[in-house]
Amino acid sequence: MERALDEYIAAAPQPQRSGMHAVLALARRPRGAVLLNRIPPLAQIGRTLLAMERYEEPSVARSLGWDAEAVVAHGRALRRAEGRP
Amino acid sequence: MSAYEADVCVIGAGAGGAVVAAELAEGGARVVLLEQGPWHDPDSFDASPPRMLARLYRDAGGTLTVGTPPIVLPLGSGLGGTTLVNSGTCFRTPEPVLDRWRSEYGLELDSETLDRCFQRVEDALSVSEVTPELAGGNAEVARRGAERLGWSHGYLRRNARGCVGSGVCAFGCPTSAKQHTGITYVPRAEQAGARILTGATVGKIDVRDGRVRGVRAQLTGGTRNGAGGEIEVRAPRVVVAAGTIHTPLLLGENGIGRESGQLGANLSMHPATAAFALMDEVVDMAKGVPQSFYVDEWAGEGIIFEGIAGPPSYAAMSLPLQGERHAEAMRSYRHLAQLGLMVSDSSRGRVRKFAGRPWISYDLDDRDLARFRTGICHMRELFESAGAREVYLPLPPGTEPEQVRAKDLRLMAFHPLGTARADADPTRGVVDPNLMMHGVEGLYVADGSVVPSSLGVNPQITIMALATRLAYHLLQRPCPS
Repeated sequence: MERALDEYIAAAPQPQRSGMHAVLALARRPRGAVLLNRIPPLAQIGRTLLAMERYEEPSVARSLGWDAEAVVAHGRALRRAEGRP
Repeated sequence: MSAYEADVCVIGAGAGGAVVAAELAEGGARVVLLEQGPWHDPDSFDASPPRMLARLYRDAGGTLTVGTPPIVLPLGSGLGGTTLVNSGTCFRTPEPVLDRWRSEYGLELDSETLDRCFQRVEDALSVSEVTPELAGGNAEVARRGAERLGWSHGYLRRNARGCVGSGVCAFGCPTSAKQHTGITYVPRAEQAGARILTGATVGKIDVRDGRVRGVRAQLTGGTRNGAGGEIEVRAPRVVVAAGTIHTPLLLGENGIGRESGQLGANLSMHPATAAFALMDEVVDMAKGVPQSFYVDEWAGEGIIFEGIAGPPSYAAMSLPLQGERHAEAMRSYRHLAQLGLMVSDSSRGRVRKFAGRPWISYDLDDRDLARFRTGICHMRELFESAGAREVYLPLPPGTEPEQVRAKDLRLMAFHPLGTARADADPTRGVVDPNLMMHGVEGLYVADGSVVPSSLGVNPQITIMALATRLAYHLLQRPCPS
């Protein structure tokens, strides 16, 4: 399955999409991050994307008490059991 | 090109369009409902914020205003529109707002009729107050703080049935507990014989001799109800309900509604921000209803607090910290509480089209900036009163709320309204009090764009009640009690 972050960026309109790709590439490299810090709004976008990526990771989320798979499985089971759309 | 004959063609299946379509179809009208977005299979809802932003929102939730500061304006996409991804909060239109509509815009909305419309909507959506158990730990922190300070507060009323507090209302409800219009009114419309076409982008609204004749749309292939290609819907009545941002663009492209100079203008929103608090107790903010509690102590000043919460990736994106402090706070995610601050704006923006996309200009005015300064101070007070170990305000490092500048604020906005506002005077409004376009017989608007002023509360059932009223006006019968 496509990574959630990739899907998110792919769905963004241009020019945000290209901008996010570029910012993310910089934010992942130490020297790039230093460069980004000179432009605070872009640095913020970079941090946001990296945070999204890190905390989407199921093992990280589970260690913080959030198990998306379990939430969804429970919800779907209830929906089916109660015949909801 | 396929052609359809209908009594009414409705454009958009969100809070306004789905309601009009269902009420009209059940009232015996032949209805075609055109929705630009897709039908979303609830089995595809996986509680992943970035993936659901990509699939359920226009532009992956990244619709931006241009101005100071730039503001993220999330809009839903698909059957249900923004009701698919909102928090489900239901407030009736406040009485002072209705009074203002009467005096300033000539909207004489008969209160008995409007009450019946609200009741009908609330029944259809199973609106009820969130219970403290379902509200969860995040609401409990806010409740305790407000209680200790003696501030007015309460649990919110929501359109949910059988909710178990999955914590992801904004990212697709996996239980289908949230009663958005895509699973309430749209199926009702379909059952009553309405033709529902998804993936339908309306280009042409056919107006001749001052009267609407129908619309033309492009259907994308592989959609739920269509094979693709151009379609024509011939109908003597058309209801545009494409939302506050897209309705004025569609009308403007067709050269309709420009006479007053108000089309696309008067954009009002609820700009918003949020603060976090680190608590001693385990909060588990995503367990329970994210938006279940409100504090309206300063509603009269245009400031309201509402609960907001989400899974770790959502919290990490909005936590106003950097570097090691961010990582440290996230390690304590289970102890984090969050509260949203929403401002009833006096700022006004404008929607235009630029390079084929909406260009939304909006600058925060000084009065709204003052509301944010005051509101952020109050949020800190509330969290401290609730026993917070630390409070993380949405401000640049070292900045106090009283000093914050508009450009320093990181804002989102919700509830855009007013870009095709209703006014009895055709020189001041785009639609008349019955929501018909001034000067175009048979063409109506039924979405947030007709709402002429900021409400100070979440607008979804105001839009639905106005849509219900429009449907019964078109059916020429009173709304049933």
